Amino acid sequence: MGIRKCFIYFQPTQAAYIKEEEAKNSMATPEGSFSVEDMKNVQINIGAVVKEEEEWDQPMGPFPKPQVATLRNWDYTIMNRYHIMYCPADDTCTLCTYGPCDLTGNQKGACGIDIAGTCGKIVLIAVLMGTCAHTAHGRHLYHWCLDRFGDMKFDMGDEILVDAPLTQTILGIKPKSLKDYGEALEYCEEEIVQLLAATHSGQEGWYQDFESKALHSGMIDSLGKEICDMLQTVAYDMPRGEADAPLVEIGLGTLDQNKGVLIAYGHNLAAGAEAMIYAENQNLWEKVDIGGVCCTAIDLTRITETGRDSKIPKNLGPKAKVAGAMGWWRKMVRSGVMDAVMVDEQCVYCDVLEDCQKRHIPVIATNDKIMLGLPDRTNDPADQIVEDLVSFKMPGVAILDPVKAGEVGIRTAIAVKPKRAQYKQESLLTEAQFKEYLEKCTGCNQCAFVCPPHTSISMMIAEAKKGNLEPFSSSYETCVGCARCEVTCPQEIPILALYEYANREYIKNAKFKMRAGRGPVRDTEIRKVGAPIVLGTIPGVIAIIGCSNYPKGTKECYDIAKEFVDRGYIVVATGCMAMDMSLYKDEEGKTIWEQYGGAFDGRNICNIGSCVANAHIHGAAIKVATIFAHRNHRANYDDIADYILSKVGACGVAWGAFSQKAASIATGFNRLGVPAVVQPHSVIYRRTFMGRADKPEDWQVIDARDGSMQQIEPAPEAMLYIAETKEEAMLEMAKLCFRPSDNAMGRGIKLTHYCDISMKYFGKLPDDWHIFVRDVKDLPLAYQADMMKELEEKHGWKIDWKAKKFISGPLRPADVSFDPTNIPRKIRAKK
Amino acid sequence: MAAEVKKGVDTTKNPIPFDLAQYPGPEMAKTYMPKVIAAIIKKAKRPLLVVGAELFDDPIMFDKAIEIGKTGIPIAATAHSVKGFVERGYLDNVYQIGLHPLTSYMRFDDWQGLDGKGPYDVVIYMGIFYKFANGMFSTLKHFKRDIKRVSIDRYYHINANMTFGNMAFDPDDYHAAVEEIIAALKK
Ligand code: SF4
Ligand code: SF4
Ligand code: SF4
Repeated sequence: MGIRKCFIYFQPTQAAYIKEEEAKNSMATPEGSFSVEDMKNVQINIGAVVKEEEEWDQPMGPFPKPQVATLRNWDYTIMNRYHIMYCPADDTCTLCTYGPCDLTGNQKGACGIDIAGTCGKIVLIAVLMGTCAHTAHGRHLYHWCLDRFGDMKFDMGDEILVDAPLTQTILGIKPKSLKDYGEALEYCEEEIVQLLAATHSGQEGWYQDFESKALHSGMIDSLGKEICDMLQTVAYDMPRGEADAPLVEIGLGTLDQNKGVLIAYGHNLAAGAEAMIYAENQNLWEKVDIGGVCCTAIDLTRITETGRDSKIPKNLGPKAKVAGAMGWWRKMVRSGVMDAVMVDEQCVYCDVLEDCQKRHIPVIATNDKIMLGLPDRTNDPADQIVEDLVSFKMPGVAILDPVKAGEVGIRTAIAVKPKRAQYKQESLLTEAQFKEYLEKCTGCNQCAFVCPPHTSISMMIAEAKKGNLEPFSSSYETCVGCARCEVTCPQEIPILALYEYANREYIKNAKFKMRAGRGPVRDTEIRKVGAPIVLGTIPGVIAIIGCSNYPKGTKECYDIAKEFVDRGYIVVATGCMAMDMSLYKDEEGKTIWEQYGGAFDGRNICNIGSCVANAHIHGAAIKVATIFAHRNHRANYDDIADYILSKVGACGVAWGAFSQKAASIATGFNRLGVPAVVQPHSVIYRRTFMGRADKPEDWQVIDARDGSMQQIEPAPEAMLYIAETKEEAMLEMAKLCFRPSDNAMGRGIKLTHYCDISMKYFGKLPDDWHIFVRDVKDLPLAYQADMMKELEEKHGWKIDWKAKKFISGPLRPADVSFDPTNIPRKIRAKK
Repeated sequence: MAAEVKKGVDTTKNPIPFDLAQYPGPEMAKTYMPKVIAAIIKKAKRPLLVVGAELFDDPIMFDKAIEIGKTGIPIAATAHSVKGFVERGYLDNVYQIGLHPLTSYMRFDDWQGLDGKGPYDVVIYMGIFYKFANGMFSTLKHFKRDIKRVSIDRYYHINANMTFGNMAFDPDDYHAAVEEIIAALKK
């Protein structure tokens, strides 16, 4: 494609941009409806009368339920500054019968598409896969919660009034009960169908429009996640933003081996929660332990923690344990700690049944998205199913009724425990077997060719032969458990079993604490931190999110979190990264959750929750715009995203990005104006968004005060950035927290951290620090004198040394009342 | 080592991607002997050596990078590798930049390089995490074909124009091959 530029650049069209004033003065005016001036709060739609709620003081914004092309201008605004960059993983296409087509360089396929278009199409498909996973999860929970509990009042508590920020911003509605989320789900589903249709042959072909659609999908993904988490928070009475949510147990060592151990693996808590309810009602906790794997773990430990009215027993969450993140699955199953496994949906390894069957661990599939070839026993009596599983007559069953699945899971785990004792013993390597396998290694290194973190397995084996198991221990956490080495080894050495043998003691003693997922950020918290975030005196919000395919091990999660929380950033974490950072302790034996408070505040770290709780991070950013800055967010997505891009110094990091949901989550953050840093394996997702700091014309924004164009520094410099190492990631994250709205003190603080991190890990100041300096007051005190000298000598700035002022040099002067925007309708007084 | 340099290491063997399944399409890199690669680098008008954090795993490679730098070829120190140069007191023509932004800039005809003196014509990657370097080579392969992509890393880099075969498990041979390039550049 070379570099093509599209010139659809903030062109407000009649259809796309309705002026703010008009929006304010009119009632809801989506197409097909009209408002009657004298009938306040009544909006008449064709065929339906929709009563406007009295309590919402915001008029309907310009874009309720935006369709595929509604926010396209906003997407092009992003893409014209953050140039799409592709790194194709394939040079060919085989998506239709004309193929394979070679698209290398400038070649086109038979259908006329080029490599950029093909990459865009694959990106859109990947993002849609993630979006569908979250939305379908929401759809399942919607039906399930209404069936199980009936409709319930949507109530986020007294400290949260902006209670469903994404639903409000995207749809312009305020759900009042669980049932109201049906409208939101229908909207998501319609958009997904339209987007997927665009990937068919002979439809979209232009790469930027594929990416605009991917951004739309990313936004739908964020909404799908919000729906999931709101439904389960209310239905299961999960924390509504309590900073002191309980500390729960995490680690394989916490699962009591004197009890039957039931593992609930996946993302949808329905069946796992029923297992807990069954154990509670039948008084079985003395006989069974429940451990979660992946996000189901986080959600099980959040159940009924607030003591509100609920249809299920109180304070259930802390009774479940977190076995671990999904990257530990294959290591866990080999460790012998589990007796029965229930899988629900998402991020479940496809060979889960094979791995369990080998070890006589019965499997129960509980969701129709993953049935593993197992017989559907939903309508059979529980007694019969338990008997079949416990006698190993069948390796597993599918039970699509969560209540029955929960009962069968608990009863099976308890009853099978003694019966599988012998098999468990047999499945664990003895010392003799371990040594035998070591001897089989020929040192061919074929395993190293396929190992994602490049572990030198032959070296570990050579050391183990000498009696040194240290390399097996130290690389236990860097191994992502992919089993590619085992599949490749010509000697059929069970390398993961060797790991298990060498790390038995560690597994036994792996006992840690994790703060239960606290859910949404409270309005009261936003009131406190809104100004410091926008002015920069809290240097940024760091969102540590996603899966556990780390380039260099689990510990990097902890290191990244600790670096930023120690520096006074607001650190929020979700999903597997929240779990993995719990596995390390300081000198006093405290995990990160015990070292710091759990508020949404500087020098605090919050476990927001599972993957779907990422929506609350979007929500927090929206709340800064609406609660602190009084922006109308209702059906006003691009305005809010523009505010966040210009003023909310937040940056996500998905250091173990693995599933397509990681792609949709990052894309959703990007459309909302939040940049993200990802790990080097992420090149497989092909597309990133990169700014050009060398092109001043890319960094022109509108000053909303008078409509004049203003040059800004490149902040944030990128939207989606791939780092090779954690050190690079941390430096970039600090940089991506710069915003044009920083005041002098805030910019000084941000520059201090940017420079400090560089000095600490790079041994020198970054080469580009000077472009972020607008005034002498922006300079970090610790470096001020040296920096001023360098500005004069190296960069040719003119300095009045006596007055300590810049005469010339900076890109622009610091101006606290500067009001940057990228949207023309935000201009308050046009020139 | 000196004897080996004289004999020459065969760097054309093992054209196997380090990530075994990494076969992108019909256009795949050819493997070359060090002296051929050195000749191409020498002929370049605006070469750039790009090094990554894997140099920390084999610190002697920092010294070799510096030797290349001293022949006048500027160095882009990606990830946090600049620390290795700081520690060795060599920063003369070393620039700190991530591989991702660097590759992004290189796509554009109007980018003037790290020193502002114009675009590069030959980029030489060394010491970079395999999958990442492969992805960034792919960007240049498709979207900036007039930059020659050279790898002198220990891996067979399928998306480069010129590369060694896989030498990931032959550190001595690999070091000797890089030495050979350095010797040729110095001539
Ligand atoms: S979709 Fe287009 S590029 Fe792909 S195989 Fe068919 S004709 Fe070729
Ligand atoms: S299972 Fe672990 S050691 Fe084996 S290839 Fe995967 S990451 Fe490497
Ligand atoms: S593939 Fe198997 S035999 Fe070869 S080095 Fe690895 S463990 Fe040893």
